[in-house]
Amino acid sequence: MKTWALIVDTWREALARYTLLGFLAVSSLFLLVLTFALNLDIVDGALAAGTLFGKAFEVPGKGPAIATVVATGQSVFAGILYVLGVFLAVFATGSQVPNLQHRGTVDLYVTRPIGRTHLLLGRFLGAVTLVSANLLILCGGVFVIISAKTHVWNPRFLVASALILLVFLSYLGFMYLVGVLTSSTPLSIMLPYALYLLSVPLVAHDRIAAAMDTRIGAGAVQTLYWILPKTAEIGRDLTGYVLGKATPAFLPLATTAAFGAVCLGAAVVAFNRKNF
Amino acid sequence: MPALPATPIASGDSPAQGGRGSRYPRAAPAGENNAGAANVYAGVDTDAAAIAVRGVSKEFRHGRRRLRALDGVNLAVGRGEVFGLLGANGAGKTTLVKVLLGLARPTSGEVRVRGRDPRRAAARRRIGYLPEGHRFPGYLTGKASLRLFGRLAGVAEGTLDQRIPELLELVGLAGRGGDRVGRYSKGMTQRLGLACALVDEPDILFLDEPTDGVDPVGRRQIRDILLATRRHGTTIFINSHLLSEVERTCDHVAILHQGRVVREGTVEDLTLPTMRYRVRLGEGQAATAERLTGEGLNVVASNGSLEVEVADLAALNRLVDRLRADHLLIAEVSPLRAALEDVFIEVVEGEERAAAVSDPGPRTPDPGGGR
Ligand SMILES: Nc1ncnc2c1ncn2[C@@H]1O[C@H](COP(=O)(O)OP(=O)(O)OP(=O)(O)O)[C@@H](O)[C@H]1O
Ligand SMILES: [Mg+2]
Repeated sequence: MKTWALIVDTWREALARYTLLGFLAVSSLFLLVLTFALNLDIVDGALAAGTLFGKAFEVPGKGPAIATVVATGQSVFAGILYVLGVFLAVFATGSQVPNLQHRGTVDLYVTRPIGRTHLLLGRFLGAVTLVSANLLILCGGVFVIISAKTHVWNPRFLVASALILLVFLSYLGFMYLVGVLTSSTPLSIMLPYALYLLSVPLVAHDRIAAAMDTRIGAGAVQTLYWILPKTAEIGRDLTGYVLGKATPAFLPLATTAAFGAVCLGAAVVAFNRKNF
Repeated sequence: MPALPATPIASGDSPAQGGRGSRYPRAAPAGENNAGAANVYAGVDTDAAAIAVRGVSKEFRHGRRRLRALDGVNLAVGRGEVFGLLGANGAGKTTLVKVLLGLARPTSGEVRVRGRDPRRAAARRRIGYLPEGHRFPGYLTGKASLRLFGRLAGVAEGTLDQRIPELLELVGLAGRGGDRVGRYSKGMTQRLGLACALVDEPDILFLDEPTDGVDPVGRRQIRDILLATRRHGTTIFINSHLLSEVERTCDHVAILHQGRVVREGTVEDLTLPTMRYRVRLGEGQAATAERLTGEGLNVVASNGSLEVEVADLAALNRLVDRLRADHLLIAEVSPLRAALEDVFIEVVEGEERAAAVSDPGPRTPDPGGGR
């Protein structure tokens, strides 16, 4: 009941602050553009693929070739959605904890007969449902549009969508920690983006470490790599996976999830110890 | 801080009761400070009292400096009592309430609410709180706020359906419950805060400046609500600067000064009759204050009656004899009580003087923020 109340509260807040509307608007825009672009693709590739498409209806034996075209397209979209989805989701949830901790507001929540851990995790769950629903619309929309147009249903795209959610959850844990510690919405949004950017050079952590003059420097690079979310690396794996070329490596996923879990745990501990 | 009232009879060296040159009786322990209070409350049965505070101190860090917001506070509030906590700005009232609700952890000492540690969620069941300067999420309507915080308090959905309209009616917000809280006026927000504090039928109610920003009619309504709540056996803990309200609502008060309880007692005791009397003469009867003053009496004429301060009852009776000897008709002779406000100002100023003598440096910054 209390958890339900917190989830409803999160949705209400998102609705009233236009974050939900903004997310839906951007998603719709993206889906519209996609519908338009995909038509162009078909026209562009008319000579090469148009006929293929035409035959695909009648000759299932030519299936694999169509699937390759679709997979390539989906792989590109998975890459775009990976960046766009996480970007939007971070933006939509960045103010959650700072708003909760607002002086005069937090008193109302925290003095109710509900544990602080329950309170924070209830809000977290609210954010998870909110972002899941939004990603479902965005990724699900892309999937349905592509699949309906090509009649090729590539389930790998859906797995990729789930990975996008996983990476976002890792960031959400981090945002909760930043929010609890600083009560600052700008920081809760900017720091995840900084991590995102940092993950790009860290893909080449082995080469950077080898080029380092000191052993300490090399160690620092490797430590950073192992601690921080491996966003860029997962993005690369994810697009490869949709293409059917690779399966995402386990360690980057596991350590990214662990990063989020540890941050969330730390946020809960800090929230419990806090004086308001 | 309220302005100093123009007390009709003012003399610092009057022989009235009370220690340290106070015109007002000291109901609380004979000790000069908290040490005395500690003696009285050390034996408090923390399980029987609705609220028990034992040796609570709370320090805040302001940069490198430490600030003692609470300094060894001992208090006990009995079940069903209405308790008023008074103190100047920055005295530590809000900090104490926050400690009592588990919002803040004391640096040392312990608090018990109904015998339990308020930091445990279950111990906060049926405890209402109206925070100072509360801010309901602006995106909620009045009704939605009550529902959210009612749900978080574990009140059943069906009960809320019935109770929310009743509460809105009670605090005078019927008809406005569907409006966004962000559009409420200050007093309306305050009324909603009270409704929210009452949503799970609390048996302990903490109110931090409940009438802040509320109009006079609303203040009376709030007072009536509190008195009605109290009849159901609810213990009420009020922080307030409106001493006349406190005087009318509370049984017990404590005065907090720079984090220490400097005076504590029942309103009745603190405002004990002084040796001041009002003497009202019959219609058209005039007694000249000057003449009586000439005889060594401290007399002020006000609103057609005389207010007189006497050393003892014999002196009062000699005054009556005087007036009767002049063939004046006496309509009324009544003892005057010290107003709580007078007591408060006397106590706080006394403490400040004492502090200035013993320690020229400030212990805590002035409420304005100091440095
Ligand atoms: N969160 C905090 N961090 C640092 N200092 C604090 C904090 N809360 C309160 N204080 C300090 O503790 C002292 C007591 O503050 P408190 O709010 O308890 O006063 P108060 O008696 O409620 O005053 P008022 O009548 O103005 O409401 C003040 O000096 C204040 O600056
Ligand atoms: Mg206060």
